[in-house]
Amino acid sequence: MPQTRPDLGAPASYTFPKPQRITVGGGTVVAIDVPGQHLASLRLVHPYGGAVEPLDAMGVNALTSEVLEDGPQGNSSLAPALERHGAEWTSRVTWDGFITGLDVPANRLAQAVPLFADAVRRPALKPDDIVRRREQLLERFWLEAASASTLAMRSLGGQLFTGRYATPLAGGPVRLADVTPEKVAAFHAESVAAVAGTLVVVGDLSDVDLQELGRTVFGDAGSAPVRDLTDPAPPPGELPRVLVVDRPGSVQSALVVAHRAPARSQVELSRAEGISDVLGGMFTSRLNMELRERLGYTYGAGSRFDLRRDSGLFFMVTQVEADTTAHSVTASLGQMATLRDSGVSSDELEAVRESNTVGLPVSYSTARSMASALVDMVVHDLPDDYVDQHRAGYEQLTEESLNSAATEYLRPEEAIVVVVGDAERLRGPLTAAEIGPVEVREPESLWS
Amino acid sequence: MTTNGAAEQVGRFTLDNGLRLVTAPASTGQVASVNLWYDVGSRHEVPGRTGFAHLFEHLMFQGSGNVTKAEHFDLVERLGGDINASTSTDRTNYYETVPTHALDLILWLEADRLATLREGMTQEVLDNQRDVVKNERRQRYDNQPYGTALERILRLAYPEGHPYHHPTIGSMADLDAADLDYVKSFHELHYGPDNCVLTVVSDLEPQDVLARVEKYFGPIPARSTVPEIPDPSLTTPLAGPVRDDVTETVPAPGVFLGFRVPAYGERGFDVMHLASAVLGQGQGSRLYRSLVVDRQIAADDGGAAADVLPFRYTDSLLLVNMLAREGVDGQELESAMREEVFRLAEGVSETELERARAVLERDHLQSISSPAGLADALSSCTQLFGDPELAHTWPRRWADITAEEVQAAAESLLVEANSLVVRFDPEPATVAASQS
Repeated sequence: MPQTRPDLGAPASYTFPKPQRITVGGGTVVAIDVPGQHLASLRLVHPYGGAVEPLDAMGVNALTSEVLEDGPQGNSSLAPALERHGAEWTSRVTWDGFITGLDVPANRLAQAVPLFADAVRRPALKPDDIVRRREQLLERFWLEAASASTLAMRSLGGQLFTGRYATPLAGGPVRLADVTPEKVAAFHAESVAAVAGTLVVVGDLSDVDLQELGRTVFGDAGSAPVRDLTDPAPPPGELPRVLVVDRPGSVQSALVVAHRAPARSQVELSRAEGISDVLGGMFTSRLNMELRERLGYTYGAGSRFDLRRDSGLFFMVTQVEADTTAHSVTASLGQMATLRDSGVSSDELEAVRESNTVGLPVSYSTARSMASALVDMVVHDLPDDYVDQHRAGYEQLTEESLNSAATEYLRPEEAIVVVVGDAERLRGPLTAAEIGPVEVREPESLWS
Repeated sequence: MTTNGAAEQVGRFTLDNGLRLVTAPASTGQVASVNLWYDVGSRHEVPGRTGFAHLFEHLMFQGSGNVTKAEHFDLVERLGGDINASTSTDRTNYYETVPTHALDLILWLEADRLATLREGMTQEVLDNQRDVVKNERRQRYDNQPYGTALERILRLAYPEGHPYHHPTIGSMADLDAADLDYVKSFHELHYGPDNCVLTVVSDLEPQDVLARVEKYFGPIPARSTVPEIPDPSLTTPLAGPVRDDVTETVPAPGVFLGFRVPAYGERGFDVMHLASAVLGQGQGSRLYRSLVVDRQIAADDGGAAADVLPFRYTDSLLLVNMLAREGVDGQELESAMREEVFRLAEGVSETELERARAVLERDHLQSISSPAGLADALSSCTQLFGDPELAHTWPRRWADITAEEVQAAAESLLVEANSLVVRFDPEPATVAASQS
């Protein structure tokens, strides 16, 4: 090899584009112009999501989001109408937001946006369509949960929370059936049609009139009401403990090791995400290097925080060869404990700091990713320069601040271990591992 | 809409050692996407060595002459970059997107593993990655409902011994048989600059990129021997309908229909691509309207029931896949799907074609909207067709395809004799047990 390794020069300084923010009627348009980006991303954010659903209408956000695709004429008419303009409908419900949108060639925005506005504000909401979509969603729950990793993630909420979070976001396989066409119509009228929301637009906007766009999308809808959020209590039970969800014949086990975490506004995000990165946020993180690169148990292992407005959780996930399940759990918990006891290395600090600062031009190299950052800012009431502030947080990290984050945010002693796999094969080794009480459940018994 | 002059901004160069370089501007600043396509995939594998091209892709991240195990990942992650690789029947690609100041480092890393991988390879590394790949196989194929569908489809579609008869993941037995000597000879045989397309999408001038690539890749010699490639020609028709009925633990009956269609790059392929969009892409597609909305016998997949699996060097496959609703048996769904597919031979309307074109065009635009996606498309079009500009102009290929052409192609290709079926039905006992 004739060339020696090149030295990295200094990265160019990066600043997230300052969004243009205009108020139109009861809503706000937040826009970033990216000349040359001909595929525009448009997102309408309605505040609150699954977290504030009443317990007799769990999944109403998700079902409404699906039913909007039936369009103002009903009968799945929206997507075909948009498809003719090369536009793609997108909708996403989170615990904290109800998000709809389009990805559309910027020069077709003017044709596609009125269709979008009609779809959001004036859907047909035909009872037949709603029932059809609901039944499909109920069936899809088990189709998707046939995948071990999906079942493991969906089993987690009931182990960590009481109240709404104990049931999956889309209402789970049982409670969604309680969501009637009347409940959908009432939810839509009150929380979607009547609320202007915030419209995020990113792309080549040289020929786009943002005022007009806002008028079309918001119409005469008003601003959002303020709602209270409360941190839900945990369910009873000894910690740590193990839940085995039986999946007979599994050649691999899907593992999730999780515990509760504070709400997003209560954590210093760069410290929390930084310590998660050291443990499992990157390929070269401790979990992946141990379980994949040293032991060869898995195709990959990782971790992250899921932080909501009123609460949060931290989790590690992997899928491992069945016979290595118990050791994978103890090794994962061991990695967490070691990190907390011994702290991070200077090399890890540097990796976390660098990967979350110099890479911002990569993170925000598409309209979609910039729109996604803006949506996050809207949902969590963050300032326009949030990306730059967050970067500054990473730049200020020290070994001490990451080590204190490890003790503050990582709690192996409060862990819930969910294992989806062959219970007959796993019960013995997991019990012998003495992690905590081991309970075996059939998937169908988890939700009622 | 699909060009905006972008095709004219594509730079093309060939180094003395045969490496083809493509450059193009990125639509956002301070970022460089590097993408390498090596002309080696599972079609180059010989019997007893299936899965090797993919296993090899893993080994390319395990260190080379001047790079230690996992260091390649580590360096890119520290830059907040994206990094990965993938293997298909026709090629292996490696890609990184990083802030522009790191372009030289990435070029050096790629050049180092191209030139010196054999120096970093050890038995320990091979054993570890073999275990990782076996777990990838378990995760993606063996422990997933319907996970073995593609493997079964390929087995039916191409005869024993044909290079597309097996999937890229390979078999557990062949993975076990991989040895260090073979790893080294595989690298020598397939990994040379003359077998590679390198694309850089960035805000740098093409000549600047060329100079950097020359610096790191220029000294690497071309391969001394060119490998013999297993013959991908098909001498006999499918003689369908051929089928594989599977009874195992699945949540609902699942039907996969397949049809041999022309190779990727031929106009006949484009016609069938359009046909697949009419049939099963988007919620305006026939299968969605008919089986999901009207008859309500298929699970809602959002309009993703049909697509083409593009193979450059042999017949491609048009695939149709749906899962049954509760209470609907596999036979009922299969019959309804076949009926809908065969009905295409009765003709398509201009409105349907227009919708299909818009859907494909949108997906194409979406795929090249990121610097990494654009780089991959440019590499693909260069390696497979010798024409990077196609990455920008591809949608034009659908523009003048007529309804008559789609109908004629459907009449000759979407027929029983050219069809395969893989059907999964749940084990009756499993259903009963899970309800107890």
